[in-house]
Amino acid sequence: MHRLAQRRIILPFLLPAAVLLALFFLYPLVRTVGISLSDWTRTGNSRFVGGANYTALLTDPEYRTALKNTFAFTFIGGCLLFPPAVAIAWALNQPIRGEKFFRFVIFAPVVLSAAVVALMWKFIYHPTLGLISPAMAEVGLGGMAREWLGDPLTALPAVAFTTVWQGIGIWVVLLSAGFERLPRDVLEAGRVDGAGEWRLFWSVMMPLLYDLLRILLVLWIVQSMQAFAFVYIMTGGGPFGSTEVVGTLMYRIAIDQTEFGYAAAMGVVLVAILLAVTAILNKVLKRDDLEY
Amino acid sequence: MSTDGRRHHLLIYLVLGTIAFSAAAAFAWVLNVSLKTNQEFLGTRPWTIAEDFHFENYLNAWTNADVGAYFGNSVVVSISATVLGVVVSAFAAYPIARIPFRANGAVLAIFLMGLMVPWMVTFIPLYLTLQDFGLLDTRIGLVLVYATYNLPFNIFVLTGFLRTLPRELEEAAAMDGAGPTVTFVRVILPLLGPGLASVTIISFLNNWNEFFYALVLIHSPSKMTLPLGLFQLGQAADYGTNWVTLFAGMIITALPVLIVFALLQKQVTKGLTAGALKG
Repeated sequence: MHRLAQRRIILPFLLPAAVLLALFFLYPLVRTVGISLSDWTRTGNSRFVGGANYTALLTDPEYRTALKNTFAFTFIGGCLLFPPAVAIAWALNQPIRGEKFFRFVIFAPVVLSAAVVALMWKFIYHPTLGLISPAMAEVGLGGMAREWLGDPLTALPAVAFTTVWQGIGIWVVLLSAGFERLPRDVLEAGRVDGAGEWRLFWSVMMPLLYDLLRILLVLWIVQSMQAFAFVYIMTGGGPFGSTEVVGTLMYRIAIDQTEFGYAAAMGVVLVAILLAVTAILNKVLKRDDLEY
Repeated sequence: MSTDGRRHHLLIYLVLGTIAFSAAAAFAWVLNVSLKTNQEFLGTRPWTIAEDFHFENYLNAWTNADVGAYFGNSVVVSISATVLGVVVSAFAAYPIARIPFRANGAVLAIFLMGLMVPWMVTFIPLYLTLQDFGLLDTRIGLVLVYATYNLPFNIFVLTGFLRTLPRELEEAAAMDGAGPTVTFVRVILPLLGPGLASVTIISFLNNWNEFFYALVLIHSPSKMTLPLGLFQLGQAADYGTNWVTLFAGMIITALPVLIVFALLQKQVTKGLTAGALKG
């Protein structure tokens, strides 16, 4: 009786959420494939062109550059992210004063809009009005200062650094949870055997955290290959295309040039690459479970 | 042991101190510039403290630079989208988590799929779909999109929470003669408080900060939310000379979320971290 009555509410309870999801997520998702197989004109007409957009991508130097920059962004950002994130997470798990304060400051940028952080750093990098170059000049390193975002050599790393600066709090929290779960008796045994903290870190903690690090690495790759906001706001893809990533290129092609079909094809290819990269990484980095 | 201990203590504070200092310095610098005049910003060194505190920059940003209007749009859009998303997902999560029917698993999987598909594939069709509905460049369109993109995470958290409640709740309510809808509203919803609080906080933060969909879907300055309006202001500052207003705008945008974070540090940290793991 009560089960039967319960069954009657299933549909009405699910319906509002299902309608939203269908209209603004599932339908657009299915529509992508159709769009990527057609050619759009500025007037909004489209015609079916089969795989023409995909074959055009193969020889498009702009897309190739954007892919290269996307990989570079992922690699540079990863190098800037993981060592400090691990170091901070380790430090937070030592008995320290002011842990709450440090956690607050490190996580605070995460709650800010990417727009705010990107604008803020665009100015911090400014050669005369910013913080970095004037500070370098002050301590006598003025010769090494450059126009960070205006130089094709440093623009991409500078944007990657800003992205990491904002997001590092999340990774620190995840890693620090990993450090907390480390078996205390194993660490104690190591200390009793006379291993220093340095030795413990490399020979005990890092191997035990391997699986977590692998998951976080894949997560970073998935996230950074979709980079958009920081690049778009800080450099707009410039100078000379040196920071153009797939996200910004797609946006430009779709919104500025109304080439919806071509841009959709770029997106589909990027997702395919993403899936392939994560599958390969998961396979390569997977190792037999360690027993302790 | 003791020298080793001291040495690694020094290292800890060095690591944490550097990072905390860089973050604090960046915030302090923005605050400082937002209180200077444009001449001071150009003429003094970045770490020189503002001579007088020019709070009129904030008034300028609020009225002349339209930050007030953006703020209003952000408040309306984020709150509407958050409420819509949370209410709708509370109803949807209930049968998925607590009423056994044939498609429970499949329905949940479809909702959670939203956590895994990157926005890259959906922004173009979403743009066209909203155009078809006449919702392009409207705040309602943005609200519907934000609410939809809040759903997967909300439903993920709420179903998990609902499953932890004791099984006997519904049976006891049915014994007392309460129908399933009344049971949900009177018995289940009040117990769902902490779960609802955490999805509300996280949805609000995400909606308040969202930039990409706002950029794609909103074009009229009068409908822009803060992140988008601020970006426009930044573009204008590139060619103009009104920097301090932009800095005041940044503080106005950042302050509400920093306050939320300061008050609810634990929930925010936990929620955003869980949100990141969704991939």
